[in-house]
Amino acid sequence: MTSIARALLASSAVFLVTAPVASAADLIVGFTLDADTLDPANHRKRETETIIRNMYDGILTRDAEMRVVPEIAESMTQVSPTVYDFKIRSGIKFHDGSDLTAEDVKFTIDRVTREGAMGDGQTSPRQSLMGPVASAEVVDGDTVRITLKEPWPILPAMLPFQEVVSKAFVEKVGSAGLATMENGSGPFKLVEWRKGDAIIMERFEDYYGGASDIPPVGKACVDRVIFKIIPESASRVAALLAGDVDIINELPPFSVDQVKNNEGTDVMTVNGTRSFFIAMNMEGAYFDDPKVREAAAHAVDKDLIIDKILGGNAARIEGILSPDAFAASPDLRKYDYDPELSKQLLAEAGFPDGIEVTMDTEGAFKDTAEAIASLLTKGGIKTTVQVGEGAQLSDKWRTKGAPKSGDMYFTSWGNGSLDPYDIFTPTHKTNDRGNSAGYSNPEVDKLLDEAAVELDTARRADMYHQAEVIVNQDLPYVYLWVPQDIYGVSKRLKGWTPSADSRINLHDACVE
Amino acid sequence: MSLGKLIERLIQLVPVLLGVSLIVFVMMTLTPGDPVQIMIGDQAVTPEQEAAMRRDLGLDRPIVERFFVFLGNAVTGDFGTSFYHRRPVLDVIAERLPATIELSLVALIVALLTSIPLGVLAAIRKNSIFDRIATVGSLLGVSLPGFWFGILLLMLFAVHLHILPVSGRIGYSAEIEPITHLLLIDTLLRGRFDAFLDALSHIILPAITLGLPMTAILMRVTRTSMLEVMRQDYVTFAEAKGLSRRRVIFRHALKNALIPTVSVAAIETGSLLGGNMIVETVFGWPGLGRLVVESIFLRNYPLVQAAVLFYAVTYVLLNFVADILYTVLNPRVKL
Repeated sequence: MTSIARALLASSAVFLVTAPVASAADLIVGFTLDADTLDPANHRKRETETIIRNMYDGILTRDAEMRVVPEIAESMTQVSPTVYDFKIRSGIKFHDGSDLTAEDVKFTIDRVTREGAMGDGQTSPRQSLMGPVASAEVVDGDTVRITLKEPWPILPAMLPFQEVVSKAFVEKVGSAGLATMENGSGPFKLVEWRKGDAIIMERFEDYYGGASDIPPVGKACVDRVIFKIIPESASRVAALLAGDVDIINELPPFSVDQVKNNEGTDVMTVNGTRSFFIAMNMEGAYFDDPKVREAAAHAVDKDLIIDKILGGNAARIEGILSPDAFAASPDLRKYDYDPELSKQLLAEAGFPDGIEVTMDTEGAFKDTAEAIASLLTKGGIKTTVQVGEGAQLSDKWRTKGAPKSGDMYFTSWGNGSLDPYDIFTPTHKTNDRGNSAGYSNPEVDKLLDEAAVELDTARRADMYHQAEVIVNQDLPYVYLWVPQDIYGVSKRLKGWTPSADSRINLHDACVE
Repeated sequence: MSLGKLIERLIQLVPVLLGVSLIVFVMMTLTPGDPVQIMIGDQAVTPEQEAAMRRDLGLDRPIVERFFVFLGNAVTGDFGTSFYHRRPVLDVIAERLPATIELSLVALIVALLTSIPLGVLAAIRKNSIFDRIATVGSLLGVSLPGFWFGILLLMLFAVHLHILPVSGRIGYSAEIEPITHLLLIDTLLRGRFDAFLDALSHIILPAITLGLPMTAILMRVTRTSMLEVMRQDYVTFAEAKGLSRRRVIFRHALKNALIPTVSVAAIETGSLLGGNMIVETVFGWPGLGRLVVESIFLRNYPLVQAAVLFYAVTYVLLNFVADILYTVLNPRVKL
């Protein structure tokens, strides 16, 4: 064996000279997934958007505190409940050198929102992200007016998800061309896309500087940015430790110490936007009884799991909303860990000897689910974890009102917009697509429907607060936590902070 | 082997492909999990918007109709549009295939170059310490999971020794105009020896990880078959004639002992393609295996169907090659 090891070492030593050495101004991101396409209007993936967003800018964007600020727009004015005006900045250039105009912005919105606008009869898969947008028109030369079919207060929160394309370029290359070529107005332009391997970009020298509310304004700091696709987390960590990459996303909690203790690397975290919870089948044999649901809530020691399994990298929640979301209520009733109370509640519900249930979850969350199951079992709810595949479990639980089987489902829902509309409504409205508990309360439905179109911010926040209080009482779910997004970074990286919407914006990032 | 036999074999491919198409289609469609729901993800959406997406992906049509449309188009070489990439699946597969082929070929070469000498040595030094180590080693080789062994190699050679890269196919600054799309060959054809070494340094670890189980299997086959041959009368006769041991082993025994090794190697090459999925994920290798796994989870029906058909064709063809090789090496056997 030693001779084999020696032979391997000797043969690999030959390549000593060729091992990759990143040039000083290259910033390399070890990233989980490749982009599906480079067309900003033709995908539905967060990872694709993260990559594209470094080459394309949007009408609006978000700063590190998740505030929505103008980017390509100079200003935004709400003219009426259904009309918004966006004044477009002058002097912005696309990567091919042409000027970005209000016509390009109108074209971008039309392409996403109009039926069949992608060509070949195809409608953009991002249409639903633009809600009830009716039309976009150019007024006064440099202003784009977006008109809605009905009031939709979250338009500004959703606009950062759309990037502006060049009308002339799209007309020239078509949707097929836009899938693999880019002509954005962002801080970096595409050099080469090695599919499945890496996306290489270089600094765009004629960049207008980006959002004026997010300093520093100006050209990007690094010469090149490379998104290196490394799907396996252990390999991503290895790449960071080896110095091959400067940032990695989705650092597993169990690798945090290793990265922290390694000289030259560190860990950065940001509050995420994904809420974790346990759905209890309210049509099932046990969880139709509020006392049994309350028993479950008291049986789960959230703080213990956050501390021991998630390494402290999560925020506890008592309702569906992240503490950072619009209208999140900080004063909801807490169901503290009390297994004796759980047993007592079960006895009151007619189950003095406890109950036996199963809990579905995906393979990735098996460890956490097992920990929850053992806590539930201590509280009298003898729980067996059943691991399933994501899409399959989603089909089983998110039945939109059709009968469902199963007892409990440990799952999550993301909320990139940090607006309740995108998480509260789908998971709690009667028969909506994410309502895995089978919850139905007409009062909550009414509040959610009204809040979706309420323009008065204070009134809207109050409606969501009322809904949260009711739901916190009804307990269709055991609300658990919002994990932080964890990044591993090299210490030579400066000027970059992770952002809660999972975007990796590299405009301001520098490497030493 | 006559031309008639060849044509007969190719015709036999047709029912295989039809069967595979039907099975894959039915299995993909019946597996729970709705491509539209997966695509929408966590988002509020109106039923109309959801229906529009379903229509755009062609999923609003009945299953039977979809199957025959798929078959009809497939005959003309059109395997549809990938739900996620929004480009023809054949284009998407073609971009990723060369990386998979290159890795499989190098793994095959690694396996052949190591397994045959080790197998022969183990056989002629039967029951020696070397033989025992090799036998235990081959058992380990078959049993070690690729994802574990691969990461072990990464930790040693990339993280601790810093002599090999963690992932990818070639460095970022190497721009090689493709000819065959196999980087090891293209870099040499373009006279870029530096880029060749770069590509080679990237492929070593994944190729060893992928080739290890095959090395182990081939070593055991070679050893057994060599032992078998060494007991044959003609070998005893050759030794009795006074030929040197080296000459007996290489000229007389090895040629015959390799017959099973070669046919097993040809068949195992098919499984290299399958094993790729894990190795490609561990080493961030931009091949087809990883793409297929991602596509299965996303219920990207058109891509999975086309890729599985490709795997089936390759497997059948490799079996065919194994048969031909067998007749070439052993003229007593006829197809």
